[in-house]
Amino acid sequence: MPQFFLNKRLIVLLVSIIVLVALIGFSLRERSKLSWPEQFLKDTAGWVQSLVSKPAHLVAGFFENLQDLQNTYEENKELKSRMEKLVSLEAQVQELEKDNKELRDILGEEETLRDFEPLQATVIGRNPDRWHEMIIINKGKTDGIKKNMAVVTAHGLIGKVKTVNQFNSTVQLLSAMDPKNRISAIVQGDTNVFGLVEGYDKEKKALLIKAIPSGVEIKKGQNVITSGLGGVFPQGLQIGKVIEVKPDQYGLNQTALVEPGADFYDLENIIVITRSMAQPKEEDMSGEGKEEDL
Amino acid sequence: MKKFLLPLLFLFLFLLESLFVQYIPPEIFGRNHILAPHFLFGGILFLAIYAGRKYGIIYAAIFGLLFDIVWIEIIGIYFFLFPFITYLISKIMHVLQTNIIVAFLVSLVGIALLEFGVYEMDFLLHITTLEFMSFMEMRFYPSLILNAAFLLIAAYPLKRHFESFAESLRDE
Repeated sequence: MPQFFLNKRLIVLLVSIIVLVALIGFSLRERSKLSWPEQFLKDTAGWVQSLVSKPAHLVAGFFENLQDLQNTYEENKELKSRMEKLVSLEAQVQELEKDNKELRDILGEEETLRDFEPLQATVIGRNPDRWHEMIIINKGKTDGIKKNMAVVTAHGLIGKVKTVNQFNSTVQLLSAMDPKNRISAIVQGDTNVFGLVEGYDKEKKALLIKAIPSGVEIKKGQNVITSGLGGVFPQGLQIGKVIEVKPDQYGLNQTALVEPGADFYDLENIIVITRSMAQPKEEDMSGEGKEEDL
Repeated sequence: MKKFLLPLLFLFLFLLESLFVQYIPPEIFGRNHILAPHFLFGGILFLAIYAGRKYGIIYAAIFGLLFDIVWIEIIGIYFFLFPFITYLISKIMHVLQTNIIVAFLVSLVGIALLEFGVYEMDFLLHITTLEFMSFMEMRFYPSLILNAAFLLIAAYPLKRHFESFAESLRDE
């Protein structure tokens, strides 16, 4: 038996398991930013990635163009039919916007939760491991990106900024399983229903809005947007559409399955959203607001 | 110049994985499958088989750490699994004779072990709640087929390159 413990390999294995647990514990704890060696490595890697991703974008773009050419005719027909609707919609929107502005002027409220400033960024890498759904974008601290900002594409919300380095940052997609990843949302209807987006169903490819009271009626096809009440995201970012509603485990609440509007694959150009309205300070809020609801 | 060839090759594989998941549209293999490329690890296993265990484990540790920091942001998962599985594989290769078909099959076993290891760790850390059977169907088999296809293409060039590398080490 003593010989067994003196075995050099076994000791190496045990020591490395201890180191492994320590390292995982170190990186899992709540940290507001990465340590500087990590940041340095990520910045260097990001620089190399952006070198590679430029020609890759070009090549991929070329093939995409070829594919687009194939169905140009049908797309054109459909787009033309949509054009007509768009014109009338645009006129309506302009009128409503004007109305809204006038009414706001009367009320004397200038800032709303809706206001934001967009910031363009390009995806330079994606996590190949595919458990942790993350992408790396080419804008960082120097461009004014901060932790927890919302990230969208033209079709809707895709995620939030997880960590920021000097010249690039990591975005965690909504499809990642992270209990801390909660977004305050509104299901739009005759009466708005509030809920929290938490979790993602990988098999159904749908986001889950949990803790909706069971009396509330939600129908398939209703729109879901961000509410802006979490304090970080602006209001009115498209999330997706309800595809299914089911009661939860105990029948007290119901869970809505939401098909995300944006495609989590095939991401190239994204927009990082900076909310204009100031965030309430931590000390102004009561002690309960410890958990991060975005 | 020749000295930098090996790190550059692995750096290329490292970036290739990311490009692969970014640009290969998921529709090609059906939306319900998740294909995880392990090109880098396949290369490292071949290095361990053809150029010796020492080099294999050193590269496994360095690139495991790099992988963890750049992609995962949880240090430890790949930093531990890469060298550990590389060590196991090189032990297995002691028993078997080194020819290209055996190397190919054993590398596939290594990649399968890696997939299981990462799944178990992520399951423990609550990064995934996927059940084991759906993990096998959605992710394990498709990924294994993908990596087998890659190794099939890359096995011969990798073997030649690493053998010449081992020879140049012996000459020194």
